[in-house]
Amino acid sequence: MRSLPVTEPVLLILLSLAEQPRHGYSILKDVQEMSDGQVTLCTGTLYGALRRLLQDGWIDRFEESRGSRGRQAYRLTPAGRRNLQLEVTRLTHLTQVAGLRLVRVNREGEA
Amino acid sequence: MLSLYRFLLRLYPRAYRHEFGAEMLAVFREAQTETWKKGVLARGMFCAREVAGLLRGALVEHLHAIAGSDLLTASRSRRNLTPTWSGSPTKRRFTMRSEFRFPKATAPLMALILALIVVAIEKAKAIQASLPHTNPHVGPIQPAQFTLFSTLLVVVAITCAAGLLGWAILFALRRSGLHRLSDFNPSERPPV
Repeated sequence: MRSLPVTEPVLLILLSLAEQPRHGYSILKDVQEMSDGQVTLCTGTLYGALRRLLQDGWIDRFEESRGSRGRQAYRLTPAGRRNLQLEVTRLTHLTQVAGLRLVRVNREGEA
Repeated sequence: MLSLYRFLLRLYPRAYRHEFGAEMLAVFREAQTETWKKGVLARGMFCAREVAGLLRGALVEHLHAIAGSDLLTASRSRRNLTPTWSGSPTKRRFTMRSEFRFPKATAPLMALILALIVVAIEKAKAIQASLPHTNPHVGPIQPAQFTLFSTLLVVVAITCAAGLLGWAILFALRRSGLHRLSDFNPSERPPV
């Protein structure tokens, strides 16, 4: 299985799929929107990450029933959702520690 | 740009292309349609990003395929099961290493071989010391006179000969039909 922590593109892809199943282009757009345009995935990066996530069982693929084209869509598996939760918890903790450290450094600077 | 994208997709491993190629192309088309409305700079950045991403992705997938196929073969021979793809390459490599065991007799055998080598060296030194130096003095060795042209000629001739030999072997193999035996399954019944 993929070990935590995950890379930023992978985290954004997982977050995108956490809300709802999406197809490839929808993931690209959502990642761009989530990151305020800071992260723009190319198709090579996106499908490389999707292939690894499929292989690790964090996501699965299915054919979209809506629409005429029958596009492939991706959704989180329970294992993927659990791992995403773990990663978000880890990042939250890290952010809190970073915030506390910065407050302490600022106080020492003022004193 | 679409034809360039199609061409670059061919750099990916066949299995990957088969699974994701059409989908990647469709997503690229959609992204391209939207980017083309934004202007020249956005188009340029989009193209550069896609080309770089595809080249990097193809390299990564080939490396993954090479590592995966090696591990796949090891897994099949070890367990005689349908291969499953689970775990990162690093972890799988670690698993292989941890499962490999030298035979117990390896260490004593290697120690014995080492001891024999040491004894042989000592014996040779003793023989060398016991023999009188009767060899005649050898005069200064003159270097062979090679000209550049003749050296190049020899190199070209050797290369051609090696190429011809390789071609002859391949030709003989094709003629003998040996290459067809790789697909031969003895347990399979011939079609009636």
